[in-house]
Amino acid sequence: MKRIFILMLLFVVLASFSFANGKTEEPTTLVYGTTEKVTDMDPASAYDFHTWEIFQNIYQGLLAYKPGTTELEPGLAESYTINKAGDEYTFKLRQGLKFTDGTPFDANAVKWSIDRVMALKGDPSWLVTDFVKSVQVVDKYTVKFILPSAIAYFPALVATVPYFPLNPNVYPKDKIVRDPSEMKGGQLVGLGAYKVSSFKRDEEVVLEANPDYYGQKPKVDRIIIRYFADATTMRLALESGEIDLAYKTLNPSDIKDLSANPKYTTNKLQGPYIRYICYETSESVFKDKRLREAMSALVNRPDFIQKVYLGQNAPLYSMVPMGMIYHTDDFKTVYGDANIAKAETLLKEAGYSAAKPFTFTMWYTPSHYGDTEVHLAEVLKEQFEKTPLVKVNIKSAEWAAYKDKWKNKEMAMYLLGWYPDYIDPDNYTAAFAGTTGSKGMGINFSSPEWDALFTKEQTNPDPAVRKQVFEKVQKMWTVDVPTTPLFQGNLYVFTNKNVSGVKIGPTLIFNYNQLEITK
Amino acid sequence: MKGLLRYAITRILLTIPMLFILLTIVFLVLRVMPGDPVSAMLGAHAPEKVIEQKKEELGLNKPIIVQYVNYLGQLARFDLGNSMVLKQRVSKPILEKLPATIELTLWGLFFTLLIGIPLGAYAANKRRTGRDFTIRLYGNIAYCIPVYWMGLMLQLIFGVWLKWLPVSGRTNPRMLSSAFSKTGFYLIDTLLAGNIRAFGDVAVHLLLPSLTLGIVLSGIFVRLTRANMLDVLKSDYILAARARGVSEKLVVYKHGLKNAFIPILTMLGLQFAMLLAGAVLTETTFSWPGMGRLLMERIYLRDYPTVQGVIVVFALMVSVISLLVDLLYAAIDPRVKY
Repeated sequence: MKRIFILMLLFVVLASFSFANGKTEEPTTLVYGTTEKVTDMDPASAYDFHTWEIFQNIYQGLLAYKPGTTELEPGLAESYTINKAGDEYTFKLRQGLKFTDGTPFDANAVKWSIDRVMALKGDPSWLVTDFVKSVQVVDKYTVKFILPSAIAYFPALVATVPYFPLNPNVYPKDKIVRDPSEMKGGQLVGLGAYKVSSFKRDEEVVLEANPDYYGQKPKVDRIIIRYFADATTMRLALESGEIDLAYKTLNPSDIKDLSANPKYTTNKLQGPYIRYICYETSESVFKDKRLREAMSALVNRPDFIQKVYLGQNAPLYSMVPMGMIYHTDDFKTVYGDANIAKAETLLKEAGYSAAKPFTFTMWYTPSHYGDTEVHLAEVLKEQFEKTPLVKVNIKSAEWAAYKDKWKNKEMAMYLLGWYPDYIDPDNYTAAFAGTTGSKGMGINFSSPEWDALFTKEQTNPDPAVRKQVFEKVQKMWTVDVPTTPLFQGNLYVFTNKNVSGVKIGPTLIFNYNQLEITK
Repeated sequence: MKGLLRYAITRILLTIPMLFILLTIVFLVLRVMPGDPVSAMLGAHAPEKVIEQKKEELGLNKPIIVQYVNYLGQLARFDLGNSMVLKQRVSKPILEKLPATIELTLWGLFFTLLIGIPLGAYAANKRRTGRDFTIRLYGNIAYCIPVYWMGLMLQLIFGVWLKWLPVSGRTNPRMLSSAFSKTGFYLIDTLLAGNIRAFGDVAVHLLLPSLTLGIVLSGIFVRLTRANMLDVLKSDYILAARARGVSEKLVVYKHGLKNAFIPILTMLGLQFAMLLAGAVLTETTFSWPGMGRLLMERIYLRDYPTVQGVIVVFALMVSVISLLVDLLYAAIDPRVKY
């Protein structure tokens, strides 16, 4: 026993002194830290931003976003045409491309991949099945998508991950793949700027530059993504030099400290992520739209952004985020911030007074939007209670329970957030105020007039018509108030000074081939 | 020897009802908790029909009693089932993460004993002196400190300010652990691969998390060792040894400590469960990819089979350790007979 102890002790001492500063000679390597998680390594099943981010670097879409913008450009397809009815899209593919195992890329791979997504019915499959009737191979390098009806934003859908062509020789046709080890040959084979060379769930994913990539060649040979269990440890790892880049998601206090530290480069980007208040509009106390209007008037965005997020997010006055086409600031014009006089008028009209205040429960979830959520709920309560006509109780439920509650109409007012499925205003509006989408979110708002407007913008590709519809929808939002927009999330990427080329646009696509690191 | 074998078999058989009761409680608590895996797994965007489809696919639409009987049937076949989140065998992530937790726990235990026992014995020997008081104070403080706070402090001091030790993970990411990972026990793997630099890297990554666990759990051992040593040092045979002129060092640290060891060993068995509980928090603080982190993440996702599987493994580990501790009594104290 004593000997074992002495040996262990000796080992600790040796380890501490001999190897503490061991360094290795490597090709240019960048270590990227995140608190996100990888789900399934299969475009037919993964439905989260981080896994999609990896896919965007190891695969390619027929269309792709220009780095850092919402502008679509040719990807694996050189061009596309639309028929007159707007329900057939024909893509001309690039020729001579090969997957990283040498398999040639052609129209069959596109059809095979789309058919596979439809057959496997994974979580994101609705992005294909709801919009595509079938796919036809016209010739080796031409593929046609036949849609059930005209869909104005179909190019934006084609740029999403479930539409990415896979290698039929590697992915099993009838089974979703969780880890690369489950693939034929045990390797993930793509067409993107990087390829996966090692995959350890919750620990690290190693990407190596793909020498055959047709687009801009990567400047960093190897990207190592390291996964952290919590944000504080990730911050410490950046400060101790273990990682070169930290992205998603640091705490506001960490963001404040790191922004002020000249040792790091702060990349602040406007993301597509929005937060808002939801109301159950069919049965709850908020059935009376005057109460929803009153709450919208009482909200003071600059105040809670400063108090809760230390000024790190941007106030949002529409459900369509800033930086996206057709965005308008209607809530600012109609309600402004902390408009107590307007709120009191509306509350009095609804029959409330200081003696008989409007009392309701506001819900939040502590397990989905980070540690700041409870603070946000408390500050909103404080803002609502600026008038003696309102009394707010706060309650919370874990995410899984929270979802049950909104489905069961148990919450009159609750806080939610949204990352888009595809980059189009439709995804920020119809999902909340269209009859079907609204029901799914627990808002239960339904109006034939609104549904007709959504159908119009969804089927008409004419930008002028869509602009008119979305401007009208945003105005109507301030009248019917199915939700109250709160803020748009800014994204923060911190890097060591020797890292450059961080370009993440409103699409949240992070192209690793733009990154550079100097020694 | 026969008696020892009978005792070991009885203890192993007693593990079965213990596991059964534990699993029944965990099974029920998980289902009573609000929320379900489908709600936790699918984003806010998932249509209702997809949610219903998923529930049916996972068997969550069946009555709880049917789910329970099915689960017990699986367990009887030594099958932990499939994860509801990743749809892979539950045993896969457990087998992947288990070595990391065992490595951390063993080193945590090593530091616990390395700090706790000598300090306790020394304090007893220097009873009612300033040194005794200081060690007792250390014992009390170490016992009270939350493990995550201790971890954070050590990370800040040794990782960020002094830059001596790494603050997260099992290796330096640039070491590419996939190059040597075979058994999952990185210390062994690096030696097998003959990669001494990686071995050193793995060892320094182990230091802070295991030291955190060791310091926090050492408090109780300081107090226990001191109390037992005080009793032992009053014994007649200690007096006799001193009268015979045996050196004080031998009297205290050989004769005294060995006799004070039985209750310490009992506590060691009991504290192993605490060590695993501490590992859950330590793994989160140090982003250590082990069973504790797996458990925490899967509880949030309501991944029932994985949570149950991890608890089965934890329970088995605790049972095995307490059995080993019982068997060790005989080796330490010849008076103990089975």
